[in-house]
Amino acid sequence: MSPSPVRSAGGLTAVATDLEVRGLRKSYGAVQVLDGVDLSVAAGEVAAVLGPSGCGKSTLLRLLAGLEEPDDGTITLGGEPLRGPSPTHPMVAQGATLFPWLSLRDNLAWGPSAARRSDADAVADELLVATGLTGFADALPRQLSGGMRQRAAIAQVLANRPPVLLLDEPFGALDAQTRLRMHEWLRGLLAERPTTVVLVTHDVEEALLLGDRLALLGRRPSRVIESSRISFGAERGRATLRDPRFVELKVQVLERVLAS
Amino acid sequence: MAEHTAPGPDDPGGLDEREPVITPSGRPRRRRRRLLGLVVPALLVTVWALASAAGWVSPRLLPSPGRVVEAGWAFVAGGGGATLPGVTPFDGAAGRHVGASVGRWLVAFALAVAVGVPLGAAIGLSRRTAELLDPLVQALRSIPITAWLPIALVWFGLGEGAARYLVFVGALFPIVIATADGASRVPRALVDGAVMLGTRRRDLGRKVYLPAALPAIVTGLRLGLTLGWMSVIVGELTGTTSGVGAMMWAAREVGRLDHIIVGMATFALVGLTGDLILRAAARPFVAWSDR
Ligand SMILES: Nc1ncnc2c1ncn2[C@@H]1O[C@H](COP(=O)(O)OP(=O)(O)O)[C@@H](O)[C@H]1O
Ligand SMILES: [Mg+2]
Repeated sequence: MSPSPVRSAGGLTAVATDLEVRGLRKSYGAVQVLDGVDLSVAAGEVAAVLGPSGCGKSTLLRLLAGLEEPDDGTITLGGEPLRGPSPTHPMVAQGATLFPWLSLRDNLAWGPSAARRSDADAVADELLVATGLTGFADALPRQLSGGMRQRAAIAQVLANRPPVLLLDEPFGALDAQTRLRMHEWLRGLLAERPTTVVLVTHDVEEALLLGDRLALLGRRPSRVIESSRISFGAERGRATLRDPRFVELKVQVLERVLAS
Repeated sequence: MAEHTAPGPDDPGGLDEREPVITPSGRPRRRRRRLLGLVVPALLVTVWALASAAGWVSPRLLPSPGRVVEAGWAFVAGGGGATLPGVTPFDGAAGRHVGASVGRWLVAFALAVAVGVPLGAAIGLSRRTAELLDPLVQALRSIPITAWLPIALVWFGLGEGAARYLVFVGALFPIVIATADGASRVPRALVDGAVMLGTRRRDLGRKVYLPAALPAIVTGLRLGLTLGWMSVIVGELTGTTSGVGAMMWAAREVGRLDHIIVGMATFALVGLTGDLILRAAARPFVAWSDR
């Protein structure tokens, strides 16, 4: 039996769903990018997808988001076949895409307003607190720093309580310290909101800090060459970085990425 | 913003609200720059006054600034000779002429917006439409406004219709082209993002495309408004009896250079005012894109 929704919001359930990808293929003209990608992510799990640059990580996410059609293969969310882009499985792309003409508060309220929820403003206020940006409610996106924008973009899609969240190198453009803070922030945020996450990254450390599962993509035309659980423990934070076992694991994974 | 907590175990994010924030730049320099822009015109008027006073130029080729100011005053406040029937009036007729020209301008401009924005949007959003219409638009916009005059006279006859048509043509193409450009540049990611936030497809135009393309559209409207105004003088070659341009053509026939210069100054003043009003009206909607 499926677990009951934690909270119902505008027809969207707040419960995470599992994600199944089978035999996904995608080409652009003569360039075959994905050649049979298989991936299973359990409900509430964070799957970190690592792979060499240009191997098709963003392509995979765009397919999962329903923004593009696969040539072959199936994607199911909670047992249901995927049908186009929707607030149930939003993607936050590289380079946060907030609406530049709207204040931060209006950006955060967009999803709930589009769903005609009467509590859109309350949701936006709650997310302003969750992003630590209460002082910037009326600021335009261009008045925020890169880290602030990235947090806001993730919060913007979380306003709809999506069961699945797709993140494409969300922190790739940030400096090391900011990125570390963002990891801790995201962990805290997801702890309060049961969400299945596919996190694309090129940063092994990020994958190991945030992921419950690690999927390695090989070179193009790519498929998942390794999928394993990360059983490092739930309490991962900045102290983890100094843990010798973590360092050892990082080196192992890095070698596998380089060997692929 | 004042509440800033140090990063700690209870604040796992350690979010720092002191991260650099870009604030809109101030404008104290503006006034100075504006004053600077008056230096050259003031110099030119001084030279003009001196040349007139010294008799270096014939008043028949260039009346003195004082003469022009007097004429300008008469244009606005009246007082001079009575107007003969059938003759385009000048003294005290500023309101009438400006009113007639501005009326033509605004009616034709409104029509150009009503046609140009949807047409531009169609060209900008659909490759098919662009392939179909873009060559035609590019060809038509290369036709100088004066070259439309003969055919406008044939189609609409002497007077109001032809005048409005010419202003419409003058205003249309910048609006079409800027709107098409703006619509085609709306980032795909914004549209995708809106859909993934649950925005209905039929709301995308109003909620995403329009606001995103608005800065470009406003640029087109400003250009269209200005070019439309410049076409008014051509439109008033079509035998209209009122309008600033009509007054100027009449003044040329009787050799009143002071009236002609007053007309030119009126064109400058009204055109600038129109642009200023449009800019001020659009500002709240496009300020986000200011650099
Ligand atoms: N829309 C597209 N049209 C043509 N080629 C594309 C398109 N999107 C991606 N590609 C190609 O697919 C490959 C994988 O791209 P991408 O998924 O962005 O890789 P990654 O995110 O892993 O760096 C690249 O070679 C890229 O050039
Ligand atoms: Mg990518």
